[in-house]
Amino acid sequence: MNDRTTENMTIKPKKNHRSSEPVWWALFSAGGVCFAVFIPTAILFFGFLQPLGLIDFSYSQAHNWFFGFWGLMFSGAFIILPGFHAAHRIRHGLHDLKVQRHGLIKVICYGLAGLISLLTLGIWFTGIIS
Amino acid sequence: MKTIHITRYLPESSEIPFVQQFDIPADDSTSVLDALNYIKEELDPSLSFRWSCRMAICGSCGLMVNGKPKLGCKTFLRDYQENITLQPLAHLPVERDLIVDMDVFLTHLEAVKPYLISDDSLSTEPNKQTPTQMAKYQQFSDCINCGLCYSACPQFGLNPEFLGPAAITLAHRYNLDSRDHGKAQRMPLLNTEEGAWSCTFVGFCSEVCPKKVDPAAAVNQSKVESAKDMIIQLFKGNL
Amino acid sequence: MTYRTTLSRTWWLKHNAFKAYMLREATVLPLTFFILCLVSGVYCLWQGESQWNHWQTAMGQPWVLAVNLLAFFASLFHAWTFFQLFPRVMPIRMGHISVPANVLIAGQWAAVLSVMVLFSWLFWGKL
Repeated sequence: MNDRTTENMTIKPKKNHRSSEPVWWALFSAGGVCFAVFIPTAILFFGFLQPLGLIDFSYSQAHNWFFGFWGLMFSGAFIILPGFHAAHRIRHGLHDLKVQRHGLIKVICYGLAGLISLLTLGIWFTGIIS
Repeated sequence: MKTIHITRYLPESSEIPFVQQFDIPADDSTSVLDALNYIKEELDPSLSFRWSCRMAICGSCGLMVNGKPKLGCKTFLRDYQENITLQPLAHLPVERDLIVDMDVFLTHLEAVKPYLISDDSLSTEPNKQTPTQMAKYQQFSDCINCGLCYSACPQFGLNPEFLGPAAITLAHRYNLDSRDHGKAQRMPLLNTEEGAWSCTFVGFCSEVCPKKVDPAAAVNQSKVESAKDMIIQLFKGNL
Repeated sequence: MTYRTTLSRTWWLKHNAFKAYMLREATVLPLTFFILCLVSGVYCLWQGESQWNHWQTAMGQPWVLAVNLLAFFASLFHAWTFFQLFPRVMPIRMGHISVPANVLIAGQWAAVLSVMVLFSWLFWGKL
């Protein structure tokens, strides 16, 4: 199953530093709920029915609907929270694959999720005020 | 007859572990532990392994059976068709043959203060507990410290500093106990990266647990507790 | 002297339980693609009508449909695993009795279904 190393395992004294993980885990969990509850429907409608012409979602309809209150809700539940969910799993998945640069991976994963969030909110906000 | 392959390690003769094959007679009631005892008595007295109660209570006969952590006494040869491979518990240092060094495991158990901590050490009154209060932690108190969950946990395998399933479950068991007042002493350790937060809910620990303790649930409930603790300390201005 | 085994990079290929775990974790890869689809949709909507139509055409390309089909199954697989984990992470008690796990699991699938019904109602007026 494994590679062998001959060594004595040493137990280092524990440093009681509080992990920042509760913040990321909360975003991951909320995003996980969204991924499970909202995303299947979203893929069905925006990934299949709309491109295949089975529903009609015109520009003016979409524009009126997104640049309002529901657009903000949509951004949170369909883009931002699932984005942080994905970032969290990719980060831990890379740890599972023994990619060792933990600090750098953390910054890249959550940084990109944050960037996508800012971009979406920025578009929503400028669309609202124009 | 069944064929068993055992990964052996005899440090005085070789630094490299080797695989030895044994053919042993087996019927429907032959456990892996029975097989090991047969080998030691009839075929090769140099084989080393731990055992005691042979009834899934002492937790000393843990080993890998075809790559999965099992108790030797609770695993039967009748459930395996072809070759059976026995290895020492994964992720722990091996001392010889099937005997692993449990020091890391025991140190981690000890670190969570797994005992009732009273707020008044001078009190001589007995503790009262209702069945409802007991039901909150009872499932998590069935652990027999066999260590199978540590061998099942890839996060412990990747980082041996991770507190691990059994230790966190034990901490959670005492945190849930109405007689205990030690939660504030246990949380700082659970709050660390090597505490509850190294877990990614692989869930294999709960699958292999011979006592159905569900350590994965306890660890993830501890994450909820740790998150709550962070919010409370934030409002208290301690962060 | 002791020896210790260390996990190789491919440890998760050695057991079915670990393969299932890695598959669960990998569901976020097609999810990431779909999120990027949505973000580009929002961006095109903001740019104007021609860009919006362009996005709709892009979403209909065979390879995009194929990846999103993968994302669809990934989201259902994720839901299946996630709903089972929830009652274990947050067991719910009502007074003296704890709510059975399969009631909580069924409740979560009901939520998925109601979102689908809501969207159908939104897009087709009525069911």
